[in-house]
Amino acid sequence: MTPAAMRRPPAENECVRARPLLGTLVEIVACGPNAASVVERAFRAVEEVHRLMSYHDPASEVSRINREGALREVAVSPHTWRVLDAARRIAQASDGLFDVTVAPTLAALGFLPRHADFLRASGQGDWRHVELLPGRRVRLARRVRIDVGGIAKGYAVDRAIEELAAPGVSSARVNAGGDLRVYGACPQLLRVRRPASPTELWPLVELRSGAAATSADYFHARRLRGRRVTPLIDPRTRVSCAHGRSVTVLAQECATADALTKVVHADPRRAPGILASFSCHALMLEEAGGLCRVHTFDPSQGEGWRVQWLPGEALLG
Amino acid sequence: MRHPEYTWLLPALIPAAVIAPAYAVQYLTVEQAQRALFPEAEAFSPVRLTLTAEQRRAIEQRSRVRVRHPELAAWRAATAERALGWFLLDEVLGKHELITYAVALDHTGAVRGIEILDYRETHGAEVRNSRWRAQFVGKRAGAPLSLDEDIANIAGATLSCQHLAEGVRRLLATYEVALR
Repeated sequence: MTPAAMRRPPAENECVRARPLLGTLVEIVACGPNAASVVERAFRAVEEVHRLMSYHDPASEVSRINREGALREVAVSPHTWRVLDAARRIAQASDGLFDVTVAPTLAALGFLPRHADFLRASGQGDWRHVELLPGRRVRLARRVRIDVGGIAKGYAVDRAIEELAAPGVSSARVNAGGDLRVYGACPQLLRVRRPASPTELWPLVELRSGAAATSADYFHARRLRGRRVTPLIDPRTRVSCAHGRSVTVLAQECATADALTKVVHADPRRAPGILASFSCHALMLEEAGGLCRVHTFDPSQGEGWRVQWLPGEALLG
Repeated sequence: MRHPEYTWLLPALIPAAVIAPAYAVQYLTVEQAQRALFPEAEAFSPVRLTLTAEQRRAIEQRSRVRVRHPELAAWRAATAERALGWFLLDEVLGKHELITYAVALDHTGAVRGIEILDYRETHGAEVRNSRWRAQFVGKRAGAPLSLDEDIANIAGATLSCQHLAEGVRRLLATYEVALR
């Protein structure tokens, strides 16, 4: 099949654009008479989140917290505040399975750059030591270093949707490399990559409203001193997790979905209770003995994972 | 708290759906990208030039990125009165994907905007030879899912944008060496 054969003519009034942002390709689609200008505004919202919360950019608010937060209180914008606040709620509810202070581990593994002017992390302390003070001020009670990469991409998608939910826009969607949210009548078929063979795309979910975020290690894993490492870190042990596993979380807001994928990776067995407390649903693909097992979690249908299908086995049989 | 609304797809769908062997999406044609990046321009004059070996070396030295193609696709954007800048068309090849993109430079050589024109993901032989896929040949029950969806629907498609970043760096060096 040639690529040209798969091209779909754009619908009337539809604007579809993609730009490189947040370390991935961000695609924004809107339908409506003024779609192009609304899409432009949505991209600006994503750029703003990128600028405020990039760990790489020394001028970001996150970098300022990492440089000065242990020495003095740092005032931040409403956006950074909302992300840190959401991160804290998820850290609290998951007893630290989501933790923005894994940054030094990510830097040591080569997934984040080293900044010479950041304070040396003490190695002691966790999310509890990121204090959110009145007046949108942040203080680091210990010498921890934060990276909001596990939640900010989802937040950027939410921000873009806020801009897209404007008069005259009938439907819209935003996808930032697997963090997706839809608005209006815009049902989306989600194709999930098989962890052991990411060129296989399985259409497993149709999303009609809300958000979905997927995280897996297949495109990020690398070798470090003979070990396979991934940027998905179990905050309790500070060791890479997620080997051979793909996790998709469905939530109303994309930031929640994004952060909770990390909770599921860190502890799939404890995850259902935490997902339920956020009214989230989830899908987990797990490779086992050459087969791929599909687990689903729906809080209205019981407390644990259900092994919905074993496609490999079922289809081989 | 509001819930997301969704449907798990039935297992029966899976054989029909299996794998997308390749997909592509066109966001913008060259003309549309030119208009998007330089809405006020009245003319785009194409400048086709072939980099000399010396220019290629200079670009590689400045950008620390290999120059694979000596041909440069550039347009000079202008109104009736003044030059606005350059529209540069380029391609980068990632691990699985080929991306056609355009960089707009203003008259000082600063990046004014970047737009993706085409995105193609092609795994070709790898997927065609997959035994797992071979089992389903001829078993595609019901209406096969069309492959005309775009990247929005491929969850976990986080691709490294490193090649794009390198491409932009190479084009900025190309401007310094050959267009300035």
